[in-house]
Order: sequence, then structure tokens, then C-alpha cells
Amino acid sequence: MSEEEKFDVIIIGAGPAGSSCAYTLAREGKSVLMIERGDTPGSKNVTGGRFYTYALEMLDSGLYEEAALERKVTHEQIMLLSGDRSISIDYHEPGFNTGGEAPMSYTILRANFDEWLAEKAEEMGAMLACGIRVEELIERDGKIVGVRAGEDEMYADVVVAADGVNSFMAQKAGLIKDIEAHTVGVGVKEVIELPARTIEERFNLKEGEGAARMILGCTEGIHGGGFLYTNQDSISLGCVFMPAKAAERGKTIHEIFQDFKMHPSIHPLLQGGLTVEYGAHLVSEAGYRGIPRKIYREGFLMVGDAAGFVINTGYSIRGIDLAMLSGIAAARAIIDAENTAEVGPQYLKELDEIKIIPAMKAADGFFDVLETPGLYDKMPNLANDVFNNLFTVDGGVPGSIKKDVMRLIKENGLSMWQLIKFGLKGVKSL
Amino acid sequence: MSYIIACYKWVVDEADIRINPDLSIDTKKSKGKISDYDKNAIEAAVQAANILGGKSLGLTFGGPETRLSLKDALSRGPAEGCWISTGEAAKADAAVTAKALAAAIQKISDVSLVFCAEGASDTYARQTAPRIGAILDWPVVTSVSKLDIEGSTLTAVRKLDDCLQTVKVDLPAVVSVLPEINDAPIPGLKAVLAAGKKPVTEIKAEELGIDFSPKTDVTEIKGYLMNRKNIILSEGEAADKVKELAAYLRKEGVL
Ligand SMILES: Cc1cc2nc3c(=O)[nH]c(=O)nc-3n(C[C@H](O)[C@H](O)[C@H](O)COP(=O)(O)OP(=O)(O)OC[C@H]3O[C@@H](n4cnc5c(N)ncnc54)[C@H](O)[C@@H]3O)c2cc1C
Repeated sequence: MSEEEKFDVIIIGAGPAGSSCAYTLAREGKSVLMIERGDTPGSKNVTGGRFYTYALEMLDSGLYEEAALERKVTHEQIMLLSGDRSISIDYHEPGFNTGGEAPMSYTILRANFDEWLAEKAEEMGAMLACGIRVEELIERDGKIVGVRAGEDEMYADVVVAADGVNSFMAQKAGLIKDIEAHTVGVGVKEVIELPARTIEERFNLKEGEGAARMILGCTEGIHGGGFLYTNQDSISLGCVFMPAKAAERGKTIHEIFQDFKMHPSIHPLLQGGLTVEYGAHLVSEAGYRGIPRKIYREGFLMVGDAAGFVINTGYSIRGIDLAMLSGIAAARAIIDAENTAEVGPQYLKELDEIKIIPAMKAADGFFDVLETPGLYDKMPNLANDVFNNLFTVDGGVPGSIKKDVMRLIKENGLSMWQLIKFGLKGVKSL
Repeated sequence: MSYIIACYKWVVDEADIRINPDLSIDTKKSKGKISDYDKNAIEAAVQAANILGGKSLGLTFGGPETRLSLKDALSRGPAEGCWISTGEAAKADAAVTAKALAAAIQKISDVSLVFCAEGASDTYARQTAPRIGAILDWPVVTSVSKLDIEGSTLTAVRKLDDCLQTVKVDLPAVVSVLPEINDAPIPGLKAVLAAGKKPVTEIKAEELGIDFSPKTDVTEIKGYLMNRKNIILSEGEAADKVKELAAYLRKEGVL
């Protein structure tokens, strides 16, 4: 094979994991080829829309200042829907994101963010080939030595699978099987355009500041939840569902999502907006226990969603930052290892050091909390009932709040014992 | 070795263009792309270069954003790229465009064949090839759906309204092709990688010594809506409805 056809590293996928890996490697002088099936990086990628900035700082300090970001999140919101009612909690900290350090998180649009990040990797010297889908891995003497796309073969010392959830490449490498339905959710999302001023008025935001909202009770009882992020001049609105449960309902996910959009507390936020993007994507839900048993073999590493690095706590979802960290960890391992056999074990060490594995372990309990029966319908309904009780003034003699609450718990088919257990599980997982 | 040139245009991707309620055009979010039919012109040049033993070259005229086009164009096969770079391109009319391309072709000098697409996917003015031919005083063949080259003779089948015309010209010549001339392949991995290494010449507008002031000024671009009359003929017998329909159509001047 000629020099032209061999790289130090080939990275499959130019999402946040792939581009961070390429950036780090190229900066250290490695020859890197990134292969992306989209016509431009991020063109077809779907995400909710919040990004935790520290990951960019880790890639290169100050990088976030020129990044393709939307709004700095200063409003953290939680919303509980039930029927046509809702409870909203808005935690606002104007200084949440100041103090000389990088603001904590931003809303983002992937088409812009991914393209920008891949461009940065190119500036560092990485090669990017877009519009190309890798179809096969090339294996020799038990090692992965290259990739095949169409008629073309290309070789490398290490191939990095950064191809996202349900990694086809990891399947080809024999490291994972086809997905299991209970470990992934299906996310649907729309981007709805509105003038910046309108968004600022509707969400009570200062210019450049944004809101991130997690919504419970919008999934017809199906395990899952909604999210809403304010971008510069659009709103990202979506829902994630566990598909196995959704299949048992009469409605399609799309229909439930459309109903969600029409909710009396949601619709006024979107009114007059124009849907400019609709997308659906899988999202890994299993957390720590969803990480495949092996995430490398000689000549091959898995990073980002391909390796299952997503933390979903129900009130926040972290995938983009972990994707970037794991890309950086992989690059460090490749740079430090003496030979290809050392790369994999070194990668595990780097993942530990960069705190992905410890963070995922720590969040493992959330998986059980989020499995709690009633969490997606009965509990938000109960909360709304309690508020209804609290705010009802009809001239009668108010009952004891405690008694009323006990009655409402019962009416919602729940028991005090269930709620205590849920509370304990919640506390334990923190 | 002589050059076989494919002229191509970097246009706004029409899929991203939005028409606002006031009919103004919004291209803020639009990305660029190689005009669709130009991909066939590029492929035709690559094939012709193989036959003629020449060198294929992708030639474009555009502003700074056009730089992005070269990698894409070269991944489609041409051995070299050439870009006439000037902000003036944004307001160029067909005459200016043809002048710029022709001047570049003269500068490249050893050229045996120039391909254009019949029209660009944004304006479809169909003027570039004829005007280049006129400036160079070369034969021009338009609407070409099939092509043969033997020695320095080119035989082309022209697709006209309802017949096919076959013509023969001596090279050098300017040819505008229809999309059915070939299947422009989607570039593979190696082609994409090779594109980054191919030589690209940037010609500054000043080097060409031509006048870029257009004779046609675009004063407005607006979307249009079909105004439908929304007349529904639902009452009465079928025969009466047909009669009524015919009457309406006659009134509209359709029949
Ligand atoms: C609905 C939804 C909401 C989410 N919300 C958030 C959020 O708010 N915050 C957050 O941090 N995370 C969120 N996530 C998770 C986050 O999007 C992912 O964790 C993150 O995108 C993972 O990045 P990645 O680079 O590993 O993979 P991806 O972003 O999936 O990138 C993989 C890339 O590989 C390319 N590719 C795949 N196969 C091939 C192939 N064979 N050949 C060439 N290229 C290939 C793809 O085109 C793609 O560009 C959300 C996910 C979903 C679905």
C-alpha cells in the first residue's frame, strides 16, 4: 500500500466525538482522516440542544469564544404536564455563567456546531472527506487495519469508530450486537424559527441568554420526556420515548409529539413560528450499564455514542460533552501508546482520568429511578392535583392539606409507600 | 498537453431558499453547491480528456465563497482547478461572466474543448456557452445529448424540440451539454482525498484586464405565488359542467 493510502488514524464520523479526536491528534502532528457520510458534518445530526462548555475548554482553552453556539443558559426549567395543566419551575441565576470562567452551558444547533468543530480539526491539519459512508472494516491478522467505502480502501494504524449510537462499525468489529430496545430511546425534534426578540419576551430572557427546559408528563405515560431549548432565533422542541412502551400505545410517537406541541402551556411559546427542521434519532438511555463490555480491540477504538457514553438523569442529558471527552481520551491514548496493542488499555486509563467512567458510574442509579412506574403520568398528575387543591378558593371551608394530599395520592393510584420508595431511590442515586 | 475545460457555477442551493410572506427571498441559511447540470459538464470534460489525451480542468468564476467549490469540483475528476476570483461576480450578467471565462480560457491558452451545462440551476439563462464561443470565435454546439470525438472532430447530437440534429465541428469548440449526456458519478473516498492535492490556480480579476461592469442590472428578486381562482364546478349535469368549464377556459384564453 502506498503512503497516500495510509494514515496514522482514520476516524469514522465527524460528530463531536470524531472531530475532537481528530483535532487533538492533528495538533500533535498525527496524520488523520475523518470520514463523514453527511454532505457536511452535522447536516443530518439530531440532538436536543444543550452543550456543556467545559468540554470545549478541555479541547483547547478559549475555543468556546469562537464556537458556533446559540444562547448562554441562565434559566434552568422543569415543567410537569398533566392533561391541559402544567407546573413550571424556573431556576434563574443571571450570574450562573459569569465570573471570568467559561459559561457553563449553551444551547446549540448541531448543523452549525458540528460543521464548525470539524473545520477546526481541519485547521489543525486533519483531512475531512464528506459525503462518504464507510461500509466495512478491513481486518488483517486479527487487527483492524483500515476501512472500505465503496470501491476504495484506506489504511491506518488505528481506526476510531465515532459513528454514533448503534454503531455499525462496532458491530462490524464484533464488539456489540444489534441494539436492544430497552437501552435506547427514540428522540423526535423540531426546530421552530421565531425572531430573537419574540423568544426573549416569551421566555423572559436577556439578549444572548437562554432557557433549557425538561418536561415530564408529555409522553402519554410512556417512559420518556420532553425538552425545549431556546436558540438565537429558533426553539428546539422535542421528546424522547422508550420505543418498546410506545409500541403498546395506539398513537404514533409523531402524534404524541404533535399533541405535546398543542398543549396550552407549550403552544403559546411556539405560536407564529415556522418549523424549519424535523428530525428523529436514537439516544442511548442505559447509562453506565449500557457501555459495551469491550470498547476496543487492536487497531480499533469506540468513542462517544458508539461507546454508549450518555448520562441521562431525567433533568439533564449529557452526550455531546462526553463524546468530546472520549474523543480526546482516545487521541491521548493513541499519542501515548508505543504500539497498537497498547492503545486500547491506555484508552481505558484515559477515560478514567478524564472522568467519563467515574461520572457515568455515579449517575448509574438514575436508570432505576427513571424506570419508576407512574413517573411519566401518575406523578405529574398528582403534582398538578396538589397545586389545584392548593389554589382552589371556592368559599367553602378548606380541608386539611395533609388529608387532601393523601386522598389525591390514592386517587392517582399511588401509595405513600410508593412515593417514599421513589424518594429514597432518588436520594440514593444522587 | 492541451486542456479540456469544464466551466461550472457555484450557486445557492435552491433547497435552502425561503420565500418570506412578503415574497422577499431569504438566502441567509443557504449553502452553496455546484450547479446540478454542471456536474454533467465536468464529467463530459473528464471523459473527453481521456479520449483526447488532454488534461481536464474545472473553471469557475465567483466571489470568495466560491473557494469552497474547488474541492468538490476536483473530486469529480478534473486534473486541475482554476478560479477567477472577484467579488464583482455577484452582480455579473451573462456578458461579464462569458467575458471572464473566455479571458481565462485564453490565458490558459492551450485549450481544445470547453464544456458548459446548457443552463445554470439558478438562472438557466443559456447564454454562457454561446457567448464564450462568440468571444473566442470558436464553433458552438448547444443542447448536446450525445457526443463523439475522433481526432480533432467532434460529432454531437443536439436535442431539439421534436427532433435530433447531428452536427460535426472541428476543435477547438464550445459545447453546452444536457444532463442526459452522462451519469455524473458521486465521488468516492479516494477521489475526495485526491481532490485536496490537485493544483488550483487562482486568477485575480485584475489579471484579466476586462471590464466587469454589467449591462444588465438585477433590480429585484422576488418569489411568486400562483394565484388560483379556486372555482369549483360542482352543480348540475356532467355535460353542463364540461360546457361551463370550457367556457371558463376560453375566457382565460387557455382554449
Ligand atoms: C433527541 C436527542 C436529544 C439530545 N439532547 C442532548 C443534549 O441536549 N445535550 C447533550 O449533550 N446531548 C444530547 N443528546 C445526545 C447527543 O446528541 C449525542 O450523545 C452526541 O451527538 C454523540 O456524539 P457522537 O459524535 O458520538 O455521535 P453523533 O453525533 O451521532 O455523530 C456520528 C457521526 O458519524 C457519522 N456516521 C455514522 N455512520 C457513518 C459511516 N458508516 N460512515 C461515515 N460516517 C458515519 C454520522 O453522520 C454522524 O455525523 C441528545 C440526543 C438525542 C437523540
